[in-house]
Amino acid sequence: MPAGLTDGVEQATMTDAAADEVEPTRGAIMVVRSLTKRFGGLVANRNVDFDIPQRSIVSLIGPNGAGKTTFFNQLTGMLQPTEGEIEFNGVSIVGLGPHQIVELGVGRTFQNIRLFSDMTAMANVMVGRHSRMKSQWYEAILHLPRVREEEEATRQRARELLDLVGLARRYEDESAKNLPYGDQRRLEIARALASDPKLLLLDEPTAGMNPGETGRMTEFIGQLRRDLGISILLIEHDMKVVMGVSDRITVLDYGEKIAEGLPEEIRTNPQVIEAYLGKQAHA
Amino acid sequence: MNDTMLGRFYRRAAGLGLLGTLGAVYVALIGIVERFEPRNIVTGYLTLGLLTAALVVFVTAYRATEPPHSWGIGPPPRQHVLGAGVLAAVIGAAGVALFLVLNRALPLDAVLVNANDRMSEILGLGLEFPAGALALLGAGLAFGVAAGGLRLLAPRFRGPLIAAVVAVMLVSLMEPFMRVVLLQLGQNAISGFFYQSGGLTVPGAIIVAGAVLAIGLANSLRGEAVRERVAEMPADQRRGIQIALFVVGIVFLLVLPQLIGSFLSEVVGTVGLYILMGLGLNIVVGYAGLLDLGYVAFFAIGAYATAILTSPVSVLGWGLSFWVAIPIVMLIAALSGLIIGAPVLRLRGDYLAIVTLGIGEIVRILLLSDALRPWTGGAQGILQVPPPEFADIDFFQPQNLYYPILAFVVLGAFVAISLANSRVGRAWNAMREDEDVAAATGINITNYKLLAFSLGAVFGCIAGAFLAVKLGSIFPHNLNLLVSITVLSLIILGGMGSIPGVIVGAFVLVGLPELLREFAEYRLLIYGAVLIVMMLWRPEGLIPSAQRKRELREHEDDEDQWAHQTGVPTAMPAVERPGP
Ligand SMILES: Nc1ncnc2c1ncn2[C@@H]1O[C@H](COP(=O)(O)OP(=O)(O)O)[C@@H](O)[C@H]1O
Ligand SMILES: [Mg+2]
Repeated sequence: MPAGLTDGVEQATMTDAAADEVEPTRGAIMVVRSLTKRFGGLVANRNVDFDIPQRSIVSLIGPNGAGKTTFFNQLTGMLQPTEGEIEFNGVSIVGLGPHQIVELGVGRTFQNIRLFSDMTAMANVMVGRHSRMKSQWYEAILHLPRVREEEEATRQRARELLDLVGLARRYEDESAKNLPYGDQRRLEIARALASDPKLLLLDEPTAGMNPGETGRMTEFIGQLRRDLGISILLIEHDMKVVMGVSDRITVLDYGEKIAEGLPEEIRTNPQVIEAYLGKQAHA
Repeated sequence: MNDTMLGRFYRRAAGLGLLGTLGAVYVALIGIVERFEPRNIVTGYLTLGLLTAALVVFVTAYRATEPPHSWGIGPPPRQHVLGAGVLAAVIGAAGVALFLVLNRALPLDAVLVNANDRMSEILGLGLEFPAGALALLGAGLAFGVAAGGLRLLAPRFRGPLIAAVVAVMLVSLMEPFMRVVLLQLGQNAISGFFYQSGGLTVPGAIIVAGAVLAIGLANSLRGEAVRERVAEMPADQRRGIQIALFVVGIVFLLVLPQLIGSFLSEVVGTVGLYILMGLGLNIVVGYAGLLDLGYVAFFAIGAYATAILTSPVSVLGWGLSFWVAIPIVMLIAALSGLIIGAPVLRLRGDYLAIVTLGIGEIVRILLLSDALRPWTGGAQGILQVPPPEFADIDFFQPQNLYYPILAFVVLGAFVAISLANSRVGRAWNAMREDEDVAAATGINITNYKLLAFSLGAVFGCIAGAFLAVKLGSIFPHNLNLLVSITVLSLIILGGMGSIPGVIVGAFVLVGLPELLREFAEYRLLIYGAVLIVMMLWRPEGLIPSAQRKRELREHEDDEDQWAHQTGVPTAMPAVERPGP
């Protein structure tokens, strides 16, 4: 099934007269086809098709309540789709648990920061590395040398990651909850990176930040892709934030994909403007 | 602090005073005061009976002097701290005096069986009626001043002072234990000097208080410097000190049963079983955050599995040796942990607690059931469980059985510490904080929950195995809800997730009551009171783990609140007055 899936979908989209050009899925790290999620009567995602090319930054934008986080939660196994298919590196991940998807190489952050708030910054990142560590409980009891080596290597790697995201050394042994807001966001990214993801999902990483911090964060996201060579899926409700950093942008409204394309195309797309202005008029 | 706030501060003190009255009258009416009266704290001066009532009044008065941080104002001026303490304590004492008057005027004992003359006499400080009631007011005044004074002391003096008073109480309560130890050491003279009629003598009390005070003061005044010196010591020298302390500890543990004799060895053995269970439940609740109220199930499974495997009169009649049975019991334990853990995997918080509570009861009822009678013997239980065999040692002797229990406790603590400091412990920790995020961070929740249940079960089952051996037989009535409650309580008392906490908790909640037979009747009441007090006063437990400290205390509010207050305290800064 997994191998044949994309071909089938490609054909299906071909027959769709409205689709002007189908993005080649070869080289896509993640492929989502007709994903639908219902919560009772509410359709949070309706027939969403979505590709994330290798080493790209793609953004998913849309007004609040459009279904972006729900979409994310299905990609990470925290919610199971009602219908549809999700492939990561050619393997179907529907039905897998969140930890299995992490093992395959998908890391994420949360819209409302969800750190292990009473653990230290260091411990948070080390937990993030859990899926790449091997020592078992009985080995820990026996204090095998390799357990200590692995622990040391993990600490080392965590330190590098804390440096990478720019978290000051003095915060290393501080409880996560005592960190300044912006640093908590950075720590969450470090924790996600600790599992060596090939795809990083960031859910509104600039939420609650002032314009200055927002600018630094978006710049940092671009840098991440350059330095680590990973793919990034970025959720934002504020369209302006993603314009500069994204290769492609997809717009969700009421759970449906209403537009997809290059940043300039999205900026001028009347349907998108309508969706945003309409929402604002209601608010 | 303006006048409105001051009024509020005093009203709070008055309310706490009333609470003190209610508490003191309550402990009197349920009979604690009279029942504990024969027990001396300082022989001839203070009995445990009077102390319980007095402590209630004192603690509420002390509480009344606490600066009201949550009102967003600084500490009240010094004389008002004293004032609030006096107000609360005098109201508390006056309430008790009023109760004495009432008790004299009305036939209260027709309804309240404990409201008798003896109780009145104790509460009235042993004096005749009007004098006793009046003396109470004087005592209230003294308590108030003491409470206020204690609060105003800088923390570096306050801590050692409280420790000294608590030490006198504890050393006195440990009289039965200390007597035996001193007797074994041939130190009758020392014993006679310190103890008399079940309590400390006056010189004994002074020496104990003085010693603890001196150590406490030395620690708070010079401790930092000493610790720095130790930290600066060359590594091998520090290592040497550590090894020396370790050796002293080991030697102490090894000679302990010879020092304390058979009865107390038996008590320590029981404490050991609870330490084992505490270590196990601590993995489940403290590390993994799975609130299991049915832990007794594993205690029971271990006890019965051992009895069935080793007793010649059990259904199997194999009569295996204890040492052969133990690995099999551990295997059964791990499996039972999986079996009980699997159905509750999806439950969280309260639901998990309720279901595990039910599982504990189900196991007890199964043990009593007709269906399993051939295996478990129903209410008759299983008899003739043989003690372990090793060389020619007679493990029927509590003094000898102590050693295998000690061995397993040490092993258990080692296992628990190793796990806590590993990838596994970190994963549990993360899971306890936020299960969904832990899963999204790559932790296999199912596996780690089952692992916690299984390892916890192994600890519980080993404790159960020793219970069967200790008693030489096993009955369902040894295995009730109270076991689960005790184990959970001792973890909470000691400090969730803390191994030294488990040990201290077990000695306090299981060991002390054995020494204080008077407590037996009030055991549950005292557990409840201890837990409530702990939750209010020190939610992180007596010896908290570093992790819990982070969770429950933002910053130790340790600094001396009055240290920076200078000048005339009544001169209130203008900024604190509400503008017109
Ligand atoms: N677990 C859930 N159960 C029911 N409704 C949900 C759930 N999660 C999200 N929703 C609903 O789905 C819609 C999309 O929510 P969400 O994905 O959080 O939007 P966004 O992230 O785009 O702001 C909202 O109407 C929200 O109320
Ligand atoms: Mg969202």
